[in-house]
Amino acid sequence: MIQRTDQLPTIELDGRQITFHPGESLLEVASRSGVQIPTLCHDPRLDPAGACRSCLVEVEGQRRLLPSCATPAVDGQKVTASPEHSPRIERHRKSLFSLYLTEHPGEDHPDGVERGAPNKLVRAAKAFGAEDWGKLENLRDDLLGDRSHDENPYIQFDSDLCILCAKCTRYCDEVESVSAITLAGRGSETTIATPDGRSLLDTTCEMCGGCVAVCPTGAMGEKKPKTHKMPVEAELEKVRTTCNYCGVGCQFDLNVDPAAREGGGEIVKVTSPTPAPPPPTPQPRGRTGGSTARTRCGKGRFGYDFLHHEDRLKTPLVRGADGELHPATWDEALAAAAAGLRGVQERHGKDALAFVSSSRCTVEENFLVQKLSRAVFGTNNVHQCAAT
Amino acid sequence: MNDGTKSRSEERTRKRGEVPDQLELAGGMVPGSAAIVAAATGDSEAHAYGVASFYSLLARPEKKLRVCTGLSCRLRGADEVLSAAREAGLDAEGYSCLAACDAAPAVLKGRETLPEVTPEDMARTGGDWQQLVSSSPRMQTVEGAPNWFGDVGSYDGPLVFDLPAGESEDTSALAAAAELGTPGVLDAIEASGLQGRGGAGFPAHIKWRAVAGMPAAPHFVVLNADESEPGTFKDREVMMRRPDLVVIGLAIAARAVGATEIYLYLRGEFTIPRRRIEATLARLSAAGHLDGLDFHIHEGQGAYICGEETALLEALEGKRGMPRLKPPFPVEHGLWGKPTLIHNVETIAAVPFIVLNGGAAFRDLGRGEPGTKLYSISGHVGRPGVYETPLGVSLDELVELAGGYTGTLKAFSPGGASSGFLPASERTRPMDYKHLADVGSMLGSSGVVVLDDTVDLRWSALEQLRFFEDESCGQCAPCRIGTRYLRDAVDRDIAGTRLSNGEAPLTHVDDAAWQMVEGSICGLGQIAALPLTSARQHFPADFPSDTPPKDSASPSEPEATK
Repeated sequence: MIQRTDQLPTIELDGRQITFHPGESLLEVASRSGVQIPTLCHDPRLDPAGACRSCLVEVEGQRRLLPSCATPAVDGQKVTASPEHSPRIERHRKSLFSLYLTEHPGEDHPDGVERGAPNKLVRAAKAFGAEDWGKLENLRDDLLGDRSHDENPYIQFDSDLCILCAKCTRYCDEVESVSAITLAGRGSETTIATPDGRSLLDTTCEMCGGCVAVCPTGAMGEKKPKTHKMPVEAELEKVRTTCNYCGVGCQFDLNVDPAAREGGGEIVKVTSPTPAPPPPTPQPRGRTGGSTARTRCGKGRFGYDFLHHEDRLKTPLVRGADGELHPATWDEALAAAAAGLRGVQERHGKDALAFVSSSRCTVEENFLVQKLSRAVFGTNNVHQCAAT
Repeated sequence: MNDGTKSRSEERTRKRGEVPDQLELAGGMVPGSAAIVAAATGDSEAHAYGVASFYSLLARPEKKLRVCTGLSCRLRGADEVLSAAREAGLDAEGYSCLAACDAAPAVLKGRETLPEVTPEDMARTGGDWQQLVSSSPRMQTVEGAPNWFGDVGSYDGPLVFDLPAGESEDTSALAAAAELGTPGVLDAIEASGLQGRGGAGFPAHIKWRAVAGMPAAPHFVVLNADESEPGTFKDREVMMRRPDLVVIGLAIAARAVGATEIYLYLRGEFTIPRRRIEATLARLSAAGHLDGLDFHIHEGQGAYICGEETALLEALEGKRGMPRLKPPFPVEHGLWGKPTLIHNVETIAAVPFIVLNGGAAFRDLGRGEPGTKLYSISGHVGRPGVYETPLGVSLDELVELAGGYTGTLKAFSPGGASSGFLPASERTRPMDYKHLADVGSMLGSSGVVVLDDTVDLRWSALEQLRFFEDESCGQCAPCRIGTRYLRDAVDRDIAGTRLSNGEAPLTHVDDAAWQMVEGSICGLGQIAALPLTSARQHFPADFPSDTPPKDSASPSEPEATK
């Protein structure tokens, strides 16, 4: 049911009256109305965890600061969310990010701050005036993805950069239902790990890379771009496309380094479009944006090396009378294929032919293949690998 | 409320609650155990592994001897006992407070706490941990099993718990409660003014009425017997001497709030108290006193944080003991998301008295605040133990019961490590919820630790900070990093070194403490800085290199900064 705006409940946010839809969190109301609240652990696809403490706000009548990601808006509530309106919020953000930096390399990380992923912690620390309080030694284990220990080709974990927001483990649980990784240990030794510290290859991991996609600091990173010596993400060009590994139709962004290959450009990684901002009316969690806003599977995310491979076919090839393959135009190739198929049909009958299609094709393409098989060549011998 | 049938998904969810127990059976965190437990419980292997790595008793199964490093135990030679263990070739480790401060130094052997262990006891093992016996006169055999009791005492007046009288199974409160009916019991609890004895002091009747009135079913009652606050051992002694009060109190509470299932969460180190509770349950059950009620005992696996009520619920559900965000509170969204009444042992054990004698009788026993109180007292006093007095006695009065001061009083913690340190000048202050909060401390679990003038408060603060660092669950940054940052700063201050950026070590501790108070999810992080901030405030002479705090806002009073 659509309600008229003037009937909606209202909160006072930094002195402004803002209407909201019942069920919206304070963070959602704020981000919709242009009030910036930092968050490192929230993602609309996940249950709010309130763990990073970045998004705390003042709510009138509440003694404690409350996590705006996990606090539902209530009619008539007075909320203060900006440092300009609250010295307490100002001091909170400054001291919280100062504390985070004591066990984070900040901009001094040897691989650079961004390491192929924007480091939201470093940006927030700068934005809110975090100070240098000295550095603590890192006590955490980072076996996960370690090259000498975990031979998985795609995912690595760098505990130096991890802030334990647990987005990766929660994504793995709540969205993918894979549960390959977990928070392990306790206190300052808490880390991200696999059962018994095994290689990701020996877990339930499906290499979807969702952990990498949701990580706010680049602690969960890709092994591949590092070998490509990738520049920071801001210098990459994003090209939106549809994955052609299967028929689901996931959208993703090819990240192109324009300067690579002597200016010819090169795809250095694949990312998912940022999930759509929360809709004004609450929807069941996990539905936001449908399949096109999800993380890709491992194929879409990591299987892009073929694009620049030297053996990649770029034109059709037709076998000549000499028995060798020769480059041809599409018209020539299609004509050769049609002639071959017709020849078999004439010599051996309709059912001497069979058509096998692929789950990499779309539903529409598969429909056309069975049409070709039945209507053009007159055989029911048609199959597609996803049909079994 | 509960028709006794469970859906299949509910059964699966319940099955996950067995993860910690199954992990113990599988040998703790050893290669392959998580896979075995995942197969047995339907949980994922990664979750099972995460659970195993969280709890001290599961994460380091090879450690068979654990020497308590609580303040009271260290004052009485725990360091020497640990050294002697290592010299004897034993694989021993230092361990968080074992709730045996009156029998210091205590050692956990497997799952059994041994009192007053000496370096000689360690030497006599010949390197075999199983040979460790305590030569303490406290050790005795009761009902065929090794048992020991702490010292107890009381003021000269009416008693609620009457621990010195020893076991006297009195079931008359059950009949009295049945006669009062639910409204009568709720009224009696309200009239008594009973406050939660676990530390927060929240009025009990508000929780009882809230759970009783919740439409969602089923309801649960949970006993918090994860007594782990350093300096506190009163719940242990209640379970040892008056297990009947605990079981009967739980039965009355369950019937009043419409619950049939009762979960008892005992810290895993409480093997001996557990035997007492089990024996009482068996006796009362056989006599038909507990008809219609299901009691489940869950053993903790070694995590102080599970004394926090929502972390405890997570642990009961078989997960890592990480506190939940509040609200919603357990009365509404508790065990498996259902309305849950959760109380400390002492709170529950006061219920039979209130039902039998009426709320007013209980309320009138206190001075200012209602009831009597069980104070644990240890450290530099003549007879450490558990003492029942009116709520609100002063330190001087309590110590008089406990054999007097040994040495000259310098400082004390009125309510465990979480209450920080107070100077000797507060020795006549009433130790109740209000009067201790007034000076930035708290009654907490009323675990009183007395320190004489040989004790350095910078060292004491360091030890408490180390405890909180070890026991932080790691979920939120203010606590996870803050506890470590403060401990590191004091370590550097003692060693005379500087921060990595060249500044004096204590330069930022006030800001860090402020952030812990404001930013932490649960009470652990919110109070973990107090040992340091209170020690600096009251004992500046023990911090010779320190400069006065640059900020006037006291971290213990977040309201003042608004």
